Amino acid sequence: MAKPVVIVVGADKGGVGKTTVSRTVLDYFSANNVPTRAFDTESPRGTLKRFHPDITEIVDMTTTSDQMKIFDTLNSVSPSVTVIDVRAGLLSPALASLRDIGFLDAAKSGQITFAVFHILGPSIASLDEIAETANFMTGAKYFLVKNFINDTQFFQWDQATYNSYFHRIKDATELTIPKLNEMAYEQVEVASVPFLKFVANKGPAEEAANYSFVLRGYVRHWLANVWSEFDRIKLTDLVGTGKPSARGGEK
Amino acid sequence: MRATPVYIICSPRPLVGKTLIARLLSEFLLLKNGAVTAFDINLKEPSLLDYLPDVTETAEVDDTFGKMALMDRLIVNDGIAKVIDLGFHAFDEFFKMTEEIGFLKEAARRGVSPVIMFIGDTDRVSARSYPLLQRQIPATSLVTIDNEYVVRGELPPVFAHGKVFRIAALPVFLKTYIDRLTFSFSDYLRNERDSSTELHQWIRENYLHFREIELNLILQGS
Repeated sequence: MAKPVVIVVGADKGGVGKTTVSRTVLDYFSANNVPTRAFDTESPRGTLKRFHPDITEIVDMTTTSDQMKIFDTLNSVSPSVTVIDVRAGLLSPALASLRDIGFLDAAKSGQITFAVFHILGPSIASLDEIAETANFMTGAKYFLVKNFINDTQFFQWDQATYNSYFHRIKDATELTIPKLNEMAYEQVEVASVPFLKFVANKGPAEEAANYSFVLRGYVRHWLANVWSEFDRIKLTDLVGTGKPSARGGEK
Repeated sequence: MRATPVYIICSPRPLVGKTLIARLLSEFLLLKNGAVTAFDINLKEPSLLDYLPDVTETAEVDDTFGKMALMDRLIVNDGIAKVIDLGFHAFDEFFKMTEEIGFLKEAARRGVSPVIMFIGDTDRVSARSYPLLQRQIPATSLVTIDNEYVVRGELPPVFAHGKVFRIAALPVFLKTYIDRLTFSFSDYLRNERDSSTELHQWIRENYLHFREIELNLILQGS
């Protein structure tokens, strides 16, 4: 039986695109026919649930009962991948809780595959989180996600600063999420559907929709770029499915 | 249902005859089909809107809203041919966008046949732009216009691979005549009884080229 996979998507800073990245990950696994479930810790609102209502549950990660709901079911449920969208400010506490319940040790000993997508904002404060988060990363796959929500350069113009943050953590993998056209992003927000459904011109209940061809084109192009990054880091290897073949979204 | 043609007349250079060809083609389609929708993305140059205000709309590709307003109209298989007079300033942005949004693939899926009519010139910008178009656009949808008024002599070899459609240069007095805003090519054909005049033959020859392009589209679709 395949090992359960837990992917935590988080940042200690708000507005850096955690939920957007979680959505692309869910779409990616869906297109690669990997059963996935998601937990949205933005209790009680749940932005992720709005886009992926069928597979998402809203939880409060600070409560023991909800921690049990997530981690005690890892081996007993059919989806092999669990994506947890950790709300702003909760990444470090969430990782501390995982350490306390012995989850990180289980990852270290290879019983569970554990990956963290750390979404970075364009500020020194955001980069300072890297060192803090890295303390928990033994046994985990650590991805530093540069999300280009605006024209930020992530200090690449200042190599000393850039290297001091991005090359400080051994074994961390950098990942780049390109910028999506603003109107396209807003249209998907309004539609409240996964990116894949938007590209396929479908509504929440699979009904035919009438989204702008231009905006769909921008989303398709952007999603293809994001997924090529996921291909590059061999995201499906986490689940043991190997190289992705023909995907639903690319047909 | 037959595919709806979308003609995109373009060049990265100003004043190479884009609007003239867009006018000719729009009038030809109007004469033949009774309907055409033209889009003028050429506001910094002589404007199609000034010549054919009844069938021309302005469009822009500077922002996403403008792109949506234009492209969402072009991708509809409604049987009405579209003509786009693409200004040189919008050339790069337009084709960058069509590549990003997968315009040609989606057009094929929806029964729309784009024809890109690129006006060749001897400058480096044109020579650099053409291979970029070739990479994006299938050879069957790319036509090079050899406007004798712009290129005196042979077209540079870079344009010689695909389909080439030559427009002869008119004498200056006839050029001035057809440049008048009130001039109509189809009206001239209808009203001029002497079919041996140079202008009469020039118009007929160009209409014949357009008809050939149309026939090729029909053959490709069958």
